[in-house]
Amino acid sequence: MHNQNRYTVSNAPFWHDGDRIAKTNYNIMLATLPAVIFGIIMFGLPALGVIAFSMSTAMIWELLFNLVSKRSISIGDCNAAVIGLFFGMMLPATAPWWIVVVGTFMSVVVGKEIYGGIGANPFNPTLIGIAATMLSWKTYFDFDAALVNYNFSFKALYPLGALKHQGHAAVDLFSMSNLIMGKQVGAIGTVFGLGLIIGGVYLILRGYIKWEVSISYIAGIIITALIFRMAKPDLYAGPMFHLFTGYTLFGAFFLATETSSSPVNLIPMLIYGLTGGILTILIRNIGAYPDGTVFAILIINLINPLIDKIRPKALGRGVSNA
Amino acid sequence: MIKRAFIGLTAPRLEYDLVEPDPKVPETIPIPPRLILLLNERLDSTKETILKKGSMVKNGDRLCLYRDSTEYVLSPVNGTITSIASYTGDLGTYSTYFIIEKEPLYDEKKTVTEFTSPVEIDPANRFLRALPGSPPFNAFMNPDKKIQTIVITGTDEDLLSDTHQYFLANHLDEMNQGIKILKQITGIDQIALTIPEKFKLPEQPEGLQIFKISSLYPGAIPEMIIKDHLNKVVPAGGKPEDLGICFISSEAVVSIARAYKGKKFIYDKLISVIDKEGTKTMVRAILGTPIHRIFRQLNITASEKDRIVIGGPMKGLASYTLYQPVLPDMDTIMIQDKKDISHVSDYPCINCGKCVKVCPAHIPVNLLVRFLEAGLYEESADSYDLESCIECGMCAYVCTAEIPILQYIRLGRHELLKIRSDREDSDREDSDREEEEAANA
Repeated sequence: MHNQNRYTVSNAPFWHDGDRIAKTNYNIMLATLPAVIFGIIMFGLPALGVIAFSMSTAMIWELLFNLVSKRSISIGDCNAAVIGLFFGMMLPATAPWWIVVVGTFMSVVVGKEIYGGIGANPFNPTLIGIAATMLSWKTYFDFDAALVNYNFSFKALYPLGALKHQGHAAVDLFSMSNLIMGKQVGAIGTVFGLGLIIGGVYLILRGYIKWEVSISYIAGIIITALIFRMAKPDLYAGPMFHLFTGYTLFGAFFLATETSSSPVNLIPMLIYGLTGGILTILIRNIGAYPDGTVFAILIINLINPLIDKIRPKALGRGVSNA
Repeated sequence: MIKRAFIGLTAPRLEYDLVEPDPKVPETIPIPPRLILLLNERLDSTKETILKKGSMVKNGDRLCLYRDSTEYVLSPVNGTITSIASYTGDLGTYSTYFIIEKEPLYDEKKTVTEFTSPVEIDPANRFLRALPGSPPFNAFMNPDKKIQTIVITGTDEDLLSDTHQYFLANHLDEMNQGIKILKQITGIDQIALTIPEKFKLPEQPEGLQIFKISSLYPGAIPEMIIKDHLNKVVPAGGKPEDLGICFISSEAVVSIARAYKGKKFIYDKLISVIDKEGTKTMVRAILGTPIHRIFRQLNITASEKDRIVIGGPMKGLASYTLYQPVLPDMDTIMIQDKKDISHVSDYPCINCGKCVKVCPAHIPVNLLVRFLEAGLYEESADSYDLESCIECGMCAYVCTAEIPILQYIRLGRHELLKIRSDREDSDREDSDREEEEAANA
């Protein structure tokens, strides 16, 4: 045949909805902005420093690992940036620089890259970093001590810490509106409950996170906290207190929904989220730690492959050849 | 290209096009001086072909490769064969093409009676499978799988295409005649017609079941029609014929009506052509017309790195040549500019779960694609439902990691068939050897 142009030959489908990993991550970063900006305004420049340093070290770790393992450079997908951002958001504003360096190393390299990079991590990478640093340097995660030099217009006590030590009496120290509006002691990006909800709802509406996980996680928190409260009202805090303190909302919208460590089928997603919520409250109310979100989500990450086996039967499966 | 909606909470809605109430008369492509006929049989260099370079053919001649061939094409013109060669298709399929140089004087009118007396399945299968719409008469010849239901598709399987709907909207009379002939040929009374749910039939045809097909893709894919309207399920890895159901396009039915009425073969194929801007034009071209002729007539320029798609955007096949001829089952031709070609990445699955949400066959696509990437085809079929796939392409359409999932699936199925046939061969050899040894002992 004659000389002719070379045409692109590829497989169907020839259309794509235009979604990319990078685009998803841009949207996640956008969704964290209300909470992050609030945190920076409240905690000042040190908070900005922690967030910026955390994001940049996370990206540098990924770049270094790409170079060492001789794989293609993958920081362009912004996954490392998101991990770094989340890590920074979960730290107190006064966190020392080396915690950030070690934490992002644990998150990006140990939490994600050694398993084979994006999509292969069995646990939420950020939580691997947070859990490692939190267990190793407990004092830096004591928010009361970390933020002792700040002059707040509200009660300068970490609500969950106070709850742990003083029981239900502590609940009355905090007004609900202050908790919702972020007027509480805590990590940079997780104190502003309303902002986290706005970001989470944005991601759910855009379809970038699994809404089933977020909603069932929150349901798990509310139901379990309510049961505890009804059993011993003088000892345990109510569901709303738990919802707007600690890492709860951040966990529900941003951590539990991390794609590769969470299920994809409807029923497993509901079980996964619900279990996460229940475990969070169990650890808070019965366990040793003031906030159970980190460990609860790591545990549900662990059961994810198992529960995700609950899935509908595929079309034509088990139909005998008529 | 359709982009993702801003609100992404619900699954994407891809809607089928609905034929316009008064469509324009299709643009007729003049008969080209050189026709390319594609025959679905592999050229075997050890056997001597019946037709050779330089053989004369006449309008209506049934062209086959060898004496025992069952595959054939009909020559639409009088002319000379100038070339017979092998053509490589998708996934290692081979076929053969004839190039026919048309004689300058063209006599179209020729009455043929080979297939009209008697009006039965054998002559129909012997001559009419090559009609536009390619009526699948061979499906009725299999004594093991008796066809009980015929479904006539007045709906197009893929997006953007209007070809089947065009016949529904404009040639309903001929369709009714064709259905009568079809009943006579096959002896099957149970006939259903699919129409788009928003389409209004001027009158209710007698003795026909009407299936109103959802305007949402992939409602018009045969497996979905069977599931939604016949309440049956095609077994994984099976075909509609396994359930005694045969799909025939509306164009095929009209072609049958015209062939029996005029006692002649029909060669005019109707095609929806979609240009780079997405404008659709209906064209009427003779079978064997190379598609560059159609592009030339419609002023479409195909430049380097553009993509030429035979079929629709979700299920089509890309063509590497403009000499691709018009085939009896070619309903749509689409061309994409190189800047509109969607990107494909080598990223791994990130488990976002969008594919699982959109999959109409409930396949665990996120797991399946991992096994397919690793080349574990048998595990994919045994545990991750590779064979349940209806190849609608929705998973790859929504994939955030831009994985060519459907390509993996098609390759996986192809490799699976190969593995199975290899195994059967070796099993047969083993049992032969055992028998031989037993006989020797």
